[in-house]
Amino acid sequence: MSAPLIELRGVSKSFGATRALDRVSFDVRAGEVHVLAGENGAGKSTLIRILSGVYPDFEGELWVGGTAQRFRSPQDAARAGIATIHQELSLIGAMSVTDNLLLGQAGRAYHLIDRRRRRAAAAKMLERLAIDADPDAAVERLPLGTRQLIEIARALALDARVIVMDEPTSALGESESERLFDRIGALLEGGAGVVYISHRLEEIYRLAHRITVLRDGARVLTADAKDLLRAELIRAMTGAELAARGAREASARAEAIFRVDRLRVDDHDRPGRALVRDVSFALEQGEVLGVAGLEGSGASELLHAAFGSVARGTGSVRVANESIQPSSPGHAIRHGLMLLASDREASVVKSLGVAANLALSSLGAFSRAGFIDRRREHAAARDMVARLSIATPSLLTPAGALSGGNQQKVAFGRCLLARPRVLLLDDPTRGIDVGAKAHVYSLIDELARDGLAIVLRSTELEELLTLCDRILVLFRGAPALELRRDGFSRERILHAAMGGAS
Amino acid sequence: MKRLSFDAPLAHAVVPLSIVLLLGCIFHQNGAFFAWETHRAVLREISVVGILACGMTLVIVTAGIDLSVGSVLGLSAVSFALFTMPWGLGAAPSILAVLVIGAIAGLISGLLVARARLQPFVATLAMMVFARGLAKQLSEGRKVTTSWLGADGVMRSIELPPIYAAIDARILGGNLSMVSVIFAACAALCWVVLMRLRLGRQLYAVGGNAEAARLAGVPVRSTITLAYVLCGLCAAIAGICQAAQETHGDPETGAGYELEAIAMVVLGGTSLMGGRGGVGLTLIGVLTLGYLHKVLSLNAFSTEARLMLTGAIIVAAVLFQRRMAGRDG
Repeated sequence: MSAPLIELRGVSKSFGATRALDRVSFDVRAGEVHVLAGENGAGKSTLIRILSGVYPDFEGELWVGGTAQRFRSPQDAARAGIATIHQELSLIGAMSVTDNLLLGQAGRAYHLIDRRRRRAAAAKMLERLAIDADPDAAVERLPLGTRQLIEIARALALDARVIVMDEPTSALGESESERLFDRIGALLEGGAGVVYISHRLEEIYRLAHRITVLRDGARVLTADAKDLLRAELIRAMTGAELAARGAREASARAEAIFRVDRLRVDDHDRPGRALVRDVSFALEQGEVLGVAGLEGSGASELLHAAFGSVARGTGSVRVANESIQPSSPGHAIRHGLMLLASDREASVVKSLGVAANLALSSLGAFSRAGFIDRRREHAAARDMVARLSIATPSLLTPAGALSGGNQQKVAFGRCLLARPRVLLLDDPTRGIDVGAKAHVYSLIDELARDGLAIVLRSTELEELLTLCDRILVLFRGAPALELRRDGFSRERILHAAMGGAS
Repeated sequence: MKRLSFDAPLAHAVVPLSIVLLLGCIFHQNGAFFAWETHRAVLREISVVGILACGMTLVIVTAGIDLSVGSVLGLSAVSFALFTMPWGLGAAPSILAVLVIGAIAGLISGLLVARARLQPFVATLAMMVFARGLAKQLSEGRKVTTSWLGADGVMRSIELPPIYAAIDARILGGNLSMVSVIFAACAALCWVVLMRLRLGRQLYAVGGNAEAARLAGVPVRSTITLAYVLCGLCAAIAGICQAAQETHGDPETGAGYELEAIAMVVLGGTSLMGGRGGVGLTLIGVLTLGYLHKVLSLNAFSTEARLMLTGAIIVAAVLFQRRMAGRDG
């Protein structure tokens, strides 16, 4: 095998107290696809951001073509021949396909004015990936899959020696993915190396020459793909067994308090397709249902559609046999349904004070004739601050001034003050530190014991295995597997989430 | 950890006002600045626009803007003059009808923003043009005064209805205009709305983060609509006061007032990004701009120079406040 095109040696990276990468070594050689595998939060994204110059500060060494280097910016990385296809689309929606494709190609002869040559160059780039798109169309009007392909075409046009692809097929259909795989083959023949991140086992084994597994920021193994069994890969990704909490004592439960029937959410970016397809489940009081699924599985959309914050196509949602209207979170809240969104930008109003945030979902209970009873509001807020141990200088401090974990607690407290009967938690521990996580876990357990029905979506399988009575696995919007606590199997869940037959 | 003081924005808003007052004290033009008449005049001059600024604050807190208030003021002034003079309606029904007109104008703007999802700038720009046109249509392009040409071609004339004098009256020995009292009442009401009512909390929440507010169950669209309705009501009240002070209904009156009202809100430190600020801050902004005009005119700056200086000073004051706010986190 040839010498590495790019190599990381003992690289570590921390964000505050969190160690995202811990002495990881990784390299890519010419003519190979090196797959980077791991659960969400394992450090994959951090690693590729270091490779692509997004994070200039890290410990350890970065070698390119035999010399130690340090990228100060993504432009440095691009000059060193590294192109990155990010997961989030980085196209400019209002600009034309041509303009987007040639963006970042400054310095070429035709870069400013020659419209015909620009258009021809863009058309050629589209042709190479057999992309069916008008070079003059505004990018935002194209379907998501086509946008993803354009993003890929742009990165490929840079003639890079190393191409980093972060879940490039997450928005692609099968034939589009095939075209991408063909292009990857051609790139390898041309002597390039590819770093490839994917959650899909099929893809991993189809493309990979070597596989590196990261877990909790550390490298677990690097192996040739042909020597690594699928089961071994999954075990390496999930790690050791976590001591599972004892099964919740089965009580004589009443009938279902929360019932979702044949829920469907249409995908507005891709007409005719659905983000959530015919999902049904019922929950009893005190039961915790986990929803597992990778990016794009529709798990988050399922929760939002049940709450009414995302328009639902068909299906019904009932709390204690009362129907919840689609598209009115206020209606859902009044009927005892509450959602904690995964995105903190959507769960706290940063400019409002802590007490005001806590009371925001239950203003009706704290006001009389339209006037807010500030004494009662503050008393309730003070209790909640104590109960969740929210670290805040005062009740009037703007929520935006608190740490991420404490903002999350404020959002959680707001949900609890509304006295829900059913709580939908959308990845409630995303981006908070280990201590705050433990607090959230014990809170969920406590709430379930108090009789709340809880639907928990999480990107961390451990969390679901620890907290849930049942786990529903979604793949591409449809139910793929449902397990009861006594039948929990990490392997089966991951397998189903990746689209493998169960 | 940076220390957070709840009243920090208030302190920052006071600084530009203090500087303006200090300038007044230094360049006092042989004591003219210290004369009670000067302050009385400032108060009278700022009251009408001040009423607009109070309503504007409610809209700006929701991260919106209402460019139509100057035109709605003009429409209200014309309507009030029409109702009270040629139509011969009583004071109470006239006032009520004008308030309804202002509220409807606000309601339309609000629905365009909240339901039709037009950008506030566009929606209220359209209302600004429309209301001015309607004012001219109703008044046939002339000032509505105590004398008018009847349908039969005969000139009619009446005494100025007493409500005009009542609104423009001086109380407390001629030291305070009723219009200023109305201004104070509007400010107090807007303060209550923002600081004490559930609606106010929802206005701040929607302006701070509309998506988070929606997920928290706040009825975002009706909250936004109400802000524009209240702003329209304030414009109607300001229009009545304007008609009373001018003793007629001028279809051209109030042009440019919307920008002055916005400037006052911004000078107070309420952010155009929404979610922050308040009526207390706006009052300081109103005083700042009012005294700035007075100090400049006392010192015999030309109108042109006054406008240019005002523009420069608004920029300086807002930059200063942003800097201070950044320091406080």
